[in-house]
Amino acid sequence: MKRAVAAVLALLISWTGSAAERGMPPTIQEVKARHAPRFLALPGVVSVGIGRDADGHGVIVVGLDRARPETQSSLPAKLEGYAVRVEIIGAVRAQ
Amino acid sequence: MAHDFNSVRAALVKSRGGLLPQAHVVATGVGYKVTRGVKTDALSIVCSVTEKVALDRLPLRDRVPPDIDGIPTDVVATGVIRAFQSRTARHRPAPGGVSIGHRNITAGTLGCLVKREGQVFVLSNNHVLANSNDALRGDAILQPGPHDGGRFPDDHIADLHDFVPITFQEPPSECRFAGGLVAVLNAGCWMIGSKTRYRSVNIQAAENRVDAAIARPLEPALVKSEILEIGTISGLGSGILGTAIKKSGRTTGLTTGEIMQVDVTVNVQYGPGQLAQFTDQLLAGPMSQGGDSGSAVLDNSNRLIGLLFAGSENSTIINRIEHVFSELRLTL
Repeated sequence: MKRAVAAVLALLISWTGSAAERGMPPTIQEVKARHAPRFLALPGVVSVGIGRDADGHGVIVVGLDRARPETQSSLPAKLEGYAVRVEIIGAVRAQ
Repeated sequence: MAHDFNSVRAALVKSRGGLLPQAHVVATGVGYKVTRGVKTDALSIVCSVTEKVALDRLPLRDRVPPDIDGIPTDVVATGVIRAFQSRTARHRPAPGGVSIGHRNITAGTLGCLVKREGQVFVLSNNHVLANSNDALRGDAILQPGPHDGGRFPDDHIADLHDFVPITFQEPPSECRFAGGLVAVLNAGCWMIGSKTRYRSVNIQAAENRVDAAIARPLEPALVKSEILEIGTISGLGSGILGTAIKKSGRTTGLTTGEIMQVDVTVNVQYGPGQLAQFTDQLLAGPMSQGGDSGSAVLDNSNRLIGLLFAGSENSTIINRIEHVFSELRLTL
């Protein structure tokens, strides 16, 4: 019984597991999706999206409501191979 | 021979009564004559026309004479001159880009016309047409919106028909069933040696993709498919990084921008203490202000790509039109 449950769970987990666990390099969308909730929980973070740098490479862009030295210093410069850029975009309001 | 300004103006005042009734002439004034594309220093009587027509195809009475009392004339093609249409005024038929709103809100923008099952509807935001979920199907929609003087019943243009509810942020999941299920899954992970662990979250907090609503015009003739200063929609498009975009809105009129970010997860304030998280949004530079919400966003080929609903000092946030159309079951 225990074996059967474990087998079913193993199947379920391998099926829902991340691309990283399947041995493929993660896409920027996957990396962004994985870390966005953690970033959005930091003080002053209002957005996390995917932009481009001057050379056209994908970057993860973290938007702040105003200058937030503590939050800025706690954000990594790179995440699983993708650059992280911080922009002060201001508080976002329904218009 | 150059004339001084006062003598040219005197000749203009004397002659304009005869010039303006001529076919094609829409304005007269004093200005420097332009010859073969080069401005000269000779003052002239400038006749602005809707279009230039060869002299031999014009009856004598519609020809602008080469000079009037010895003062040269100049004919300039300016096209038809229209009064600036105020976006906060009442419009019938109402085009996209003008003020609209639920009777209990301030004002937003009428985005464009859309169809559901062959019927025509007006598209805008939930927070414009459905008062941020606080509305019922059949509620009166006013054009212009109440802030712009719209009153019921005189300015009643449509009835709220449907909206996608906005889920405002709630505390993390305290669901005991979810907690139990997660414990079982994590035990399974441990048994098979996987490092994956599951965690229960309140997924409702992250499920908004659109702030959208539709209203049914009381009569089809009360609205029109054109968008002010943009024209007609050519089809559906999809926003990608770098796409040049434009919108026509109640407050800032026609503005342009570029999609700077995609796949954006963003927290949007709807009022004191009311916060909603949106996923898979488009982000452009600043191109809107309060009252522009509901504006249709198009690319340079006039393909509809989004619905504007929020912004900050340095950004504009746009729902993808794909999500708006699928969640409300719309077509163009």
